[in-house]
Amino acid sequence: MPPAIEVNGVTKTFKDLRALDGASLRIETGEIYGLLGPNGAGKSTLIRTLAGLLTADSGTVKVLGHTMPDLAALDQIGYMTQQPALYPDLSVEENVRFFAALYGREDDGVQAALELVDLASRRQSIVATLSGGMRTRCSLACAVVHKPRLLVLDEPTVGIDPQLRAEIWGKLGEMAADGVTVVVSSHVMDEAERCQRLCLMRAGRILAEGTVAELKKLAGVKRLEDAFLRLSAEPAA
Amino acid sequence: MSSRRVLAITRRLLQQFRRDRRTLAVVFVAPVVILSLLGYVLRGGGSGPKVDLVVEDSGALATAVADHVAHDWDITVSRTDLATARSDLDTNAIAGYVRLPAGFSDNALRSRVVAPEVIVQGDEPGPATTVIAAMQRATAGALTALVSGPPPRLAPTVTYRYGGPSLDTLDYFGSAFIVFIVFFLVYVITSVSFLRERTQGTLERLMASPLRRSELVLGYMIGFSVLGLAQTAVVMGWSLLVLHIHNAGSPALVFLVVAVTALVAVNLGIMLSSFARTEFQAVQFIPLVIVPQVLLAGTILPISSEPGPLQVISNVLPLTYAGYAMRDVMIRGAGLDYGPLVLALGVIAAVAVVLIIAAGATVRRAPA
Repeated sequence: MPPAIEVNGVTKTFKDLRALDGASLRIETGEIYGLLGPNGAGKSTLIRTLAGLLTADSGTVKVLGHTMPDLAALDQIGYMTQQPALYPDLSVEENVRFFAALYGREDDGVQAALELVDLASRRQSIVATLSGGMRTRCSLACAVVHKPRLLVLDEPTVGIDPQLRAEIWGKLGEMAADGVTVVVSSHVMDEAERCQRLCLMRAGRILAEGTVAELKKLAGVKRLEDAFLRLSAEPAA
Repeated sequence: MSSRRVLAITRRLLQQFRRDRRTLAVVFVAPVVILSLLGYVLRGGGSGPKVDLVVEDSGALATAVADHVAHDWDITVSRTDLATARSDLDTNAIAGYVRLPAGFSDNALRSRVVAPEVIVQGDEPGPATTVIAAMQRATAGALTALVSGPPPRLAPTVTYRYGGPSLDTLDYFGSAFIVFIVFFLVYVITSVSFLRERTQGTLERLMASPLRRSELVLGYMIGFSVLGLAQTAVVMGWSLLVLHIHNAGSPALVFLVVAVTALVAVNLGIMLSSFARTEFQAVQFIPLVIVPQVLLAGTILPISSEPGPLQVISNVLPLTYAGYAMRDVMIRGAGLDYGPLVLALGVIAAVAVVLIIAAGATVRRAPA
C-alpha cells in the first residue's frame, strides 16, 4: 500500500528564515505519527505544507497520492490549528455544522464528531462562553466531522483534562485502526508517547525518526523527554 | 485612584504608538492631507458652473447685462442661441442658461421691473444658487451703470428643471448621503469581519478545506450584500418616510443604485482587509479610503467647483457615480431609459466586478 504521506527534500524559506531544510519523511496509512521539536523547529511549517496551506520551495510533498498543494486532496484532510479556530458568536453545533458543510457532510458526522469530543450536551452553547479546553475539543470536532482519511493536528489536546485526553486518544487510535492516518505536532510528552512513530525536528531538519523505544535507545536514555532534550541539543548534522 | 497606575497606562500607550507607524500616520499625516485636500478643493479654483447666455434683445440694458454676466467670476459663460442652450441643458452640458428675450431692455425701462429668464438644472443646489447669484450681480451692475435714480426692481424668473424652491438642503444632499452612509458602513463591517477571519484563525482553517477563494469571496459578498440591502431598506425607509427627503423617482431604482454600491463597498472591504493585521489597522484605512471620497465624490461640494486635477480623481471614484445615479433618480426622477443613469450604474457595476476579482486575488491560500 502506498504511504499516506511522502516528504522528500522539502525546503521552505520565509525571508531570511529557512523553516524547512531538506526535510524528508514517510508516513504509512493508518499510522499515528508525531512531530516533536522545540519552538521554531519547523513543525508548524511542515504541518501547513501537508495541509496544503504552503507550497514548498523545493522538494516534493505527496499526501494521499496527491502532490501538494492540490485542492483535490483537501477533501480528505482534517486540519486542526494550534489555536482553536472557531466562530465565537456561533454555537458548538453551528461551528461543527458549518465546517461539515464545506465538505458536503452536513447531514452526517456532526453527532459523531460532537460525541467524540464529549460536547454533545453543550451543542447549543455559544463558543465564546466555553472554556479553553472546550474550545479545543470543539476545534477537534470540526477537524474530524467529515471523516477524513488524514488528520493533521497541531497540539490537539492542549488544555484538555487527562481523562478526556485519554478518551480522545483512544478514539484517534480507533480511527487509525480504520485506516485514518494521524499526524500530530506536539510538545506534550504524554501525547508523543501515544504515537506509533515520531520524528524529532530542529532547525527545519529531521534529526531522528522512529518509534518511542527506538528514539530512547538512540539517545541512550529511559525517558522520551530526556531523548527529546538530548537529541535536540546535539549539533545539527 | 493611583496617579502612578494611571500614568503607567498612559506611558505604555505612548510607547506602543511610538512604534505603530500606521497610527502615527493617522494622527499626524492624515489630518494634514485631508485639510490640504479640503483647501485645494475650496480654494484651488474650479471653473464654476457652465452657463449658456442667450441674448435676443439688442437694447443697451440687455447688452450691459450680457457683458456683466460674461465677466462674472463665478460662472463660465458661453454665448449661444436658444435651441443650443436648450439642447445643452437636456444633455447636462450646462448648469443652466440665461435668456434675455426680445424687448427685455424696453420692458425693463417701461415697467421698472428687470426680468431676465434663468433656467437651471436644479439637481444640485450649489450650481443653481451660483447661477442665480451671478445673474443678480450682473443685472445690478448693469443697472448701476445705465440707470440714474432709483433702479428698477430686479425680478428674474427662475425655472428649475428639477427640484426647485420647495426642496431644502436635506433634499439636495440627502440623495448622495444615503448612498454614502451605506457605502461607509458596509465597507467598515465587511473589512473588520473579514479581517476577523484572519485574526481568529478561521481563515487558515477555511483555506485547508476544499473551499475555493472565489467561493469565500462570493459567500461574503452575498452575505454582506444581504446585510447591505437590509441596511439600505432601513436607510431608505427612514429617509423617505420619516425625514421626507425628496424622491422624484422609483424607490426600486434608488434601491438598485444603493445595492450595487454596497457590492463595491463589500469587495473593497475584503480587498483592503488583506493589508491589515488587526481590526485597529483596518479602521485606520478609513482616512485613506472614505474621507477623500467624501470630499471629491460630489457628496458635499459639486465636482464642477473642484480644480481640474481633482476632477480627474473624482471621475474615477465609485462614489462619484453613485452620487450621480442617486441624484438622477431622486432629484431628476430618471428611469432606466436615461442614458447617464445607466452609464453611472454601469461604471459602479464595473468597479464592483474589478474589486471582486481583486478581492479574490488578495485572499492568500496561506494566511500569514
